[in-house]
Amino acid sequence: MSVREVLGEEPEVAMAEERYRVIGEILSKVFRGARPLTLSDLLDEAFLNRYLGIPIFLTLWWALFRFTFDVSAPLSDLIDIIFSRLGEFASSIIGNEWWSAFVSDAICGGLGGVLVFIPPIFFLFFGLALLEDSGYLARAAFVVDKILRPFGLQGRSFIPLLLGFGCNIPGVMATRTIPSERDRILTICVNPLITCSARLPVYVLIAGAVLGAYASMAVFTMYLLSIVLALLMALIFKALIPYFRRGRRAPFILELPNYARPTLRSTLTHMYERGILFLRKAGTIIFLGIIVVWLLSSHPWGAPLDQSYIATLGRWLEPLFRPLGFDWRGAVALFFGFIAKEIVVGTFAVFFGLGEEAEIEEVQRSIVELGVFTPLTGFAFMAFTLLYIPCLATVGIIYRETNSIKWTLFTVIYGLILAYLIALLIVVIGGLMGLG
Amino acid sequence: MRIPLGLAPENRMVRVVEVRGGRGLIRRLSELGFLKGEWVRVLKSGPSGPALVEVKGSRVALGRGVLMRIIVECVPP
Amino acid sequence: MKEIEVALIGNPNVGKSLIFNNLTGGRAHVGNWPGKTVEKKEGRCIHKGVTMRIIDLPGVYSLTAASIDELIARNYIVEERPDVVVDIVDASNLERNLYLTLQLLELEANLVIALNKSDIAEGLGYEIDVKGLSELLGVPVVPTIATVKVGMEELKDAIVEASKRGVKARVRYREDIEELIERIGNILKRDENLTKKYPARWLAIKIIEGDKEVMRLIEERGLMGELREVIG
Repeated sequence: MSVREVLGEEPEVAMAEERYRVIGEILSKVFRGARPLTLSDLLDEAFLNRYLGIPIFLTLWWALFRFTFDVSAPLSDLIDIIFSRLGEFASSIIGNEWWSAFVSDAICGGLGGVLVFIPPIFFLFFGLALLEDSGYLARAAFVVDKILRPFGLQGRSFIPLLLGFGCNIPGVMATRTIPSERDRILTICVNPLITCSARLPVYVLIAGAVLGAYASMAVFTMYLLSIVLALLMALIFKALIPYFRRGRRAPFILELPNYARPTLRSTLTHMYERGILFLRKAGTIIFLGIIVVWLLSSHPWGAPLDQSYIATLGRWLEPLFRPLGFDWRGAVALFFGFIAKEIVVGTFAVFFGLGEEAEIEEVQRSIVELGVFTPLTGFAFMAFTLLYIPCLATVGIIYRETNSIKWTLFTVIYGLILAYLIALLIVVIGGLMGLG
Repeated sequence: MRIPLGLAPENRMVRVVEVRGGRGLIRRLSELGFLKGEWVRVLKSGPSGPALVEVKGSRVALGRGVLMRIIVECVPP
Repeated sequence: MKEIEVALIGNPNVGKSLIFNNLTGGRAHVGNWPGKTVEKKEGRCIHKGVTMRIIDLPGVYSLTAASIDELIARNYIVEERPDVVVDIVDASNLERNLYLTLQLLELEANLVIALNKSDIAEGLGYEIDVKGLSELLGVPVVPTIATVKVGMEELKDAIVEASKRGVKARVRYREDIEELIERIGNILKRDENLTKKYPARWLAIKIIEGDKEVMRLIEERGLMGELREVIG
């Protein structure tokens, strides 16, 4: 008797059948009980309801973001204040001028620059862990599958994209649960377009400085642009790139875990794990990045800023950005923003000689007084920040997750091109409309 | 009456008679319990988008393409 | 002091992270799986003079190698051969969870089952004969409630006990399938290096199923010719 004779044409199905037969036999001896109508059923009745499903999803999503940003804001402010005081204190007790500046501006500024992101990141991860542990996150994937499908993505792509709003690193890592390699790589490629929490301070800074009453609308537009472009680029890649076009569409199969009452301990554990990962991966790079910016901007030691190494670099990059209306300062800020986008804010602060830990209002005042941006170029700068290369840490994680230089380069390059095109479009169309 | 699972009415027990598709798909579905003779129940379904199906005591979301490949026997009430 | 390697595995959302934390006290070392990009969580637990190195495997529903997570979990158990594998089973959803358990038994893993969420199962009115389940599977079964740390000491005892005892579990399949497994196993045993590295029973089942990775391995080993007749 051969395998074929015993088990037929589909032996793996016959084996699955056999396993379930054995399980059934065991359970018939040791298990008693019938599945009653549970709270799970009632919850699914509501959460997955044809009409209520999407409104509930949007409400929870909105609540999560309010929770993340509103509740964590005072904590971030506190950290900001602590490190700027610490910097002042350090510089007052250190005699040597260079060391004093190094400790207060680079070290304290750098640490502060990393640590202010801890509250929102941890709050976001707390909220997500709550949704995940309760079993809702898998349901959310079910609810949005229908929406994502026309764009070549699927329900499983949703969680990685959602995490991207916190930080693209866990976002890219979360694609691991997508069984189809094609869908997984596509989800990774568009993930950097999701505006992570590190980009928000840049929007706030620029919008607050030059867009006046339209500031919050401009920030909101960035979020909208982020979502629209992520979906649009997925659609375009799916249509144009042979790798994504090839092959059948991956079937959508998603096991939904039972609902469970999340416990504080397990939620905190999940939050901590993801948060620490972010800190390890991103924190060190951001910290080192800020130190490098400081070193380049304050050397040659004693020279005014516009003769520093950083200014030289900026002038060299400036022609590239002239069509977009960014000057050398904007160019340098974007250059260092590659290390980590939160450095963009710090870089501007350094330019105006305000130190890393300057109050945001001071930096904004300087932007206006020095005419770094017009409302139009400011808006274009925000869009550029949104779209161009994800930060260094994200590039690293994309490489590690795709295990391919090709896809990593692809993501970096298309991001740059897209950022340039969109920023140019904003400046040109705005110019034609007489804005500026 | 034999119909694809995607067309089965909600909240009625139906019996799997055939699973079509590629090897990988059939294998995954069989692991979830979509086996010939198995009773399953569609909990949430609609004209488009995935449906929620109860199988082997757990809940699985299946996309439209998958739903059309699982053929079930539906006994009219 | 004796050190043993203990791997935790289970379906997603069964409370695996909590059990990991309960056992290790939350102190974990996060590294990477060799050659892989997925993070690997490792912790330590000392119980009755035995140091346990506890490795958290990804949450999976099956070991078919359909996703990276499944492949990692499977390769780890096949290649690293941990002293004990703790399979965390959701007591409120036994049928689905035991599927992974059977696959772990095929791997001839030295299994201990943590029957987690036993409070929820009870709340649903389920009656589970724990002793009977343990006898039928041939592995120790420990009821736990990870959220309130119930059953943790018993679980540690069972792990230490299992590490001394070695594998003895074996769920038998239908007679004709067992015959096939044996015949394929006998052919495989001619390649000693192969069966020293991988459990013959598991290889045989995977060959029956036509598993891609295992078929490639068999091809490399030049055993395909002899097996062709059995496969049919």
